[in-house]
Amino acid sequence: MTTANFDALKAGDTIDGPAFAVSRESIRLFCDASLDYNPLHLDDNYMKGDFGKTNFGGIIMHGMNNFGLISRMLTDWALPAGAIHRRLETRWLKPVKPGDTIRPAGTIKAKQTTAKSRWVLVDVAVQNQRGETVAAGEAMLEFPAK
Amino acid sequence: MAQAESSAATPFETDFWKDAKLRKVWDDIVPGEPRKTLPYQLTQDAIALYCRAVGETNPLYLDEAAAKAGPYGGLIAPPAIHILLMFACTPADDWMRSPGTVNAGQSWSYNIPARPGDTITLQARALDKFIKRERLFVVHDNVFFNQHGDVICSGRGQTIRPM
Repeated sequence: MTTANFDALKAGDTIDGPAFAVSRESIRLFCDASLDYNPLHLDDNYMKGDFGKTNFGGIIMHGMNNFGLISRMLTDWALPAGAIHRRLETRWLKPVKPGDTIRPAGTIKAKQTTAKSRWVLVDVAVQNQRGETVAAGEAMLEFPAK
Repeated sequence: MAQAESSAATPFETDFWKDAKLRKVWDDIVPGEPRKTLPYQLTQDAIALYCRAVGETNPLYLDEAAAKAGPYGGLIAPPAIHILLMFACTPADDWMRSPGTVNAGQSWSYNIPARPGDTITLQARALDKFIKRERLFVVHDNVFFNQHGDVICSGRGQTIRPM
């Protein structure tokens, strides 16, 4: 994993995130922590039904759990260097289910200096244990000018 | 348990079916119209519970002495605490709670951290709605403020509405 040093960073450098084991318990805990008790995350009977053309076949993890893991990866990387997590945009590509293990990762895409600060753009993605990308997006970190 | 509580007198209703009939369906949602919101006092317990759910261990969120010596001079919440604030700051009849609401993606910008003890308010609305591949989408926009009127974070997202 690359160090969060603005001058040394270059496109293609990587940031490693933590593995996260998804279980019925982890999803239930996320319900309590987020107050999002949508039956998508709680009710297997409800999830036997179809959603348009999609059938999930059982409860799924909150998409925002991916978001929280990516955010955790970014802050854990940036904060010790005095950098600030300023933006995160994500989209969900595949459902995540109990039994899956997911892991976020980042790749430095570009650096930008503006009138008053310095910025790093990071491509982010979350993959499951089969190497499938379940969430993807882009983040922006600020490295305040010295 | 250390469950987050709304500052409203009534406890948080975890059965999202209960008020389902009161909520707007896609047809009722008017882009531009503000959503009803509630002020919410963020507690250290709620922050700790969120941290546990996503495995956050940074002392800035959890260790008062370490946080006091750190860059923010005290405990802060992780940036993504808006995941909780979205539901904490909206009433039971808010359409974001409609069973079957599917999150299609979000983007958030962060200004200053939320802190334990903050009284947080939300300004929120639907911005747009559209139909794509037989699915009903709504674009929403949200800005969270602290008790000083400072922006904590702002975000927009898309949900697919239940049919």
